[in-house]
Amino acid sequence: MGRRRLRRPDPADAARALPEAIAALSRTLPAAPSPETFRRAKFDHPEAAPALWRLLFRVLSPLPADGASASLALEAQARWVKSALRSQGYPRRALVQLPDDGSQGGRELLLALAWLLARGPLPERLLTQSHVRLGDEIPVCEIHSYTRGCHSDRSLGHLSVTETELLRDPEGGRQLLRRLEMENAQLEAALEWRHRELIFWQWMDTVLDACSPEASPLTFLPRIPEPGPGAARLLARELQTLQEELREAAEARRAAWQAVVGGHGPEWRAARRALQTAVAQDLAALQRAWEQDEGRARPHGPRRLVRTEAKVPGGPGLWAAEATEALRAREACLEAVLRQLQGQCRQELARLAGARPGLIWVPPPAR
Amino acid sequence: MLPAECSRRLVAELRDALDSCAERQRQLEQSLRVSRRLLRVWEPAETPAPEPTPGSEINKEAPSSACPPSPQDLKELELLTQALEKAVRVRKGLSKAGEGVKARSLKSGSASTATKASAPPSTSRCTGSRAPETKPPRGVHHPWVPAKDLPGRRLLLVGDGAHMGQGAGANKPEAGLRDQQIVPQAASQVPEAFTLKDKGALLRLPEAFRKAASRNASLWAQLSSMQTRDSVDAAAATAKTQFLQKMQTAAGLPSSMLSAAEVGRLQKACSMLRLRMREELTADPKDWTQEYRSLLTLEGLQALAGQCLHRLQELQELRSAVVEQPQGPWPEGPPRAALPCGGGADPVWSPQLLLYSSTQELQTLAALRLRVAMLDQQVHLEKVLMAELLPLLSEQEPLGRPWLALCRAAHCLLCEGGQRFLTVLQDEPADRLSPP
Repeated sequence: MGRRRLRRPDPADAARALPEAIAALSRTLPAAPSPETFRRAKFDHPEAAPALWRLLFRVLSPLPADGASASLALEAQARWVKSALRSQGYPRRALVQLPDDGSQGGRELLLALAWLLARGPLPERLLTQSHVRLGDEIPVCEIHSYTRGCHSDRSLGHLSVTETELLRDPEGGRQLLRRLEMENAQLEAALEWRHRELIFWQWMDTVLDACSPEASPLTFLPRIPEPGPGAARLLARELQTLQEELREAAEARRAAWQAVVGGHGPEWRAARRALQTAVAQDLAALQRAWEQDEGRARPHGPRRLVRTEAKVPGGPGLWAAEATEALRAREACLEAVLRQLQGQCRQELARLAGARPGLIWVPPPAR
Repeated sequence: MLPAECSRRLVAELRDALDSCAERQRQLEQSLRVSRRLLRVWEPAETPAPEPTPGSEINKEAPSSACPPSPQDLKELELLTQALEKAVRVRKGLSKAGEGVKARSLKSGSASTATKASAPPSTSRCTGSRAPETKPPRGVHHPWVPAKDLPGRRLLLVGDGAHMGQGAGANKPEAGLRDQQIVPQAASQVPEAFTLKDKGALLRLPEAFRKAASRNASLWAQLSSMQTRDSVDAAAATAKTQFLQKMQTAAGLPSSMLSAAEVGRLQKACSMLRLRMREELTADPKDWTQEYRSLLTLEGLQALAGQCLHRLQELQELRSAVVEQPQGPWPEGPPRAALPCGGGADPVWSPQLLLYSSTQELQTLAALRLRVAMLDQQVHLEKVLMAELLPLLSEQEPLGRPWLALCRAAHCLLCEGGQRFLTVLQDEPADRLSPP
């Protein structure tokens, strides 16, 4: 796309801006209706509704569209969309009241789409889901060895299985190319959408205003979205256990520390302050790590495998050795967690059994 | 043994776990299939028209019609095929010997072609120089170019036909097939790794594809950078927030959309705190500064855990405070598969690389990944089972056989990882002596 060209505002531009924004949106979303349909939806034209139901269905489905789900009847899609929106906490009741046959409600559906767009980077997320993977993520290395020197991109150096396969199978290669080009078109549209979206939001304001106010809104409250029925309970229990363990460990160390603290000279008071600051910063960084959305490179996210000899430090990617280290740490932690949980269960069950006299428990022989 | 609701939930969880294992297996098998197919002789393409001679562009439309492959092309194809076949044999031998493939530097000037003692089929070929078998001209895809003297290190192995590659353009007919003498390797059977480049051939991706792929990478990079750049999007971000608020107030509801995302964040917090605690507890303080630091850290972690717990309890109260009307028009929930969260936690894809330099590294990494995934699943199932089974056991009063059976089963699942059972003897008063 290059730099944004700075132009003096031109009335003709303003008139074009909205259609272009909507056109970009239509090109970047999968299965999107034409820009004209979007605008008709504002005025509740009946033909807009089915197209928007289908779009919402496609957008909300967790899996890429396959034959099975795409062939669902419009009515089934409409009902699915309603419940999916409800799970995410969609606030407007009018949507629920739309007929299931999918024949009406263009404006409400437009609002629903805008709501989803406002909450997160929807086009980017959809494109990420359907992204054409050119590299290998599952470990394979023969092809990597044999094809060294074959890739025009020097930072990669060798071909992936997918790329080698495309050479072996020209028809498959053509399909891959087509998919790649389609994705490129959608990516370009997404970039354009990002540049132009402000005018879309201004327009959506007018759409919202065009709706009649919800009748007696307070009599109906949708269920608040829950990540899972017992997830919060489980988490609460975990946090309590964790806090308990930390308390024990900290108290023990504090007691041990108090016992010897007198023995330290005056210089340690200055050092103490420095340590307190350092630890506070450490913990603040830790807290930031979970409060902010992860934009950091995830070591175990999808990454293209590249075989390389060059031990260039600070190179373009993550080294297998580092990833292995991280995984080992995680493995150790998980093993500890599992053992701890099992221990907890043993105690609990022993307690329950103990409460009932007359039972003799013979534990299995320790391996 | 279990109430219907409970068992329904458990069955669903277990089914999910099994499904994800099956999916992983399927992916691995698929990947193996594709790789094996690539290592065999490539079957000719269905289309009779071969690609144009090497070096020329491949169009999106049907490739321009054929000139029959020249003898040189055939030779190169032959080379590649045999190289790949050899690789398969080597690999088979390797997997029997259980050795990993290591790439070593080639000593320059090494004259002999050392190969592992190959299976009989290859011996029959290794008699002097041979004329390439004339295969009937087939519609073959010719994506490669002859290897020029490319700069850069050779990949290497312990002495092999690297000489084939040395300046061997397609011009040297006798570069066709080098003698493959079997030099018995007294030393360990160091297997070969080699590159197509060394064999005098290179595969090259079609031009159109290369262009599309690089455009793709550049577009993703632009999109990623847009995400992080706030200045341009500030106005749009404000507009979006205002729109959302307007939607919410128009419906007259309290804002509740954040709670699911918050719980997710708190879960992440919990595991990060635990990880950090473990690091502190296993570290060995060398002097008093480290000891003190460790103490402060633990106390700080304790405080953070308390804060998270407090926040979670607040959220739980918030939920229970909202009055629910009878379900009425809202239909049944969507399928179990997780819905994409409105909160937008998925990062935008960006080209990231994972670099490795030996098969061993890769094997270790793959094995670890699998182990961690398994442990993750085990821990999750443990928690789920605990949440379901322990309350049941503590609530049920009757000390009958069902309760004991449940207890035993629970112990097995929860404490022994489903591996071993304990024995429970019921010591009844004299009138009824019957072990459960």
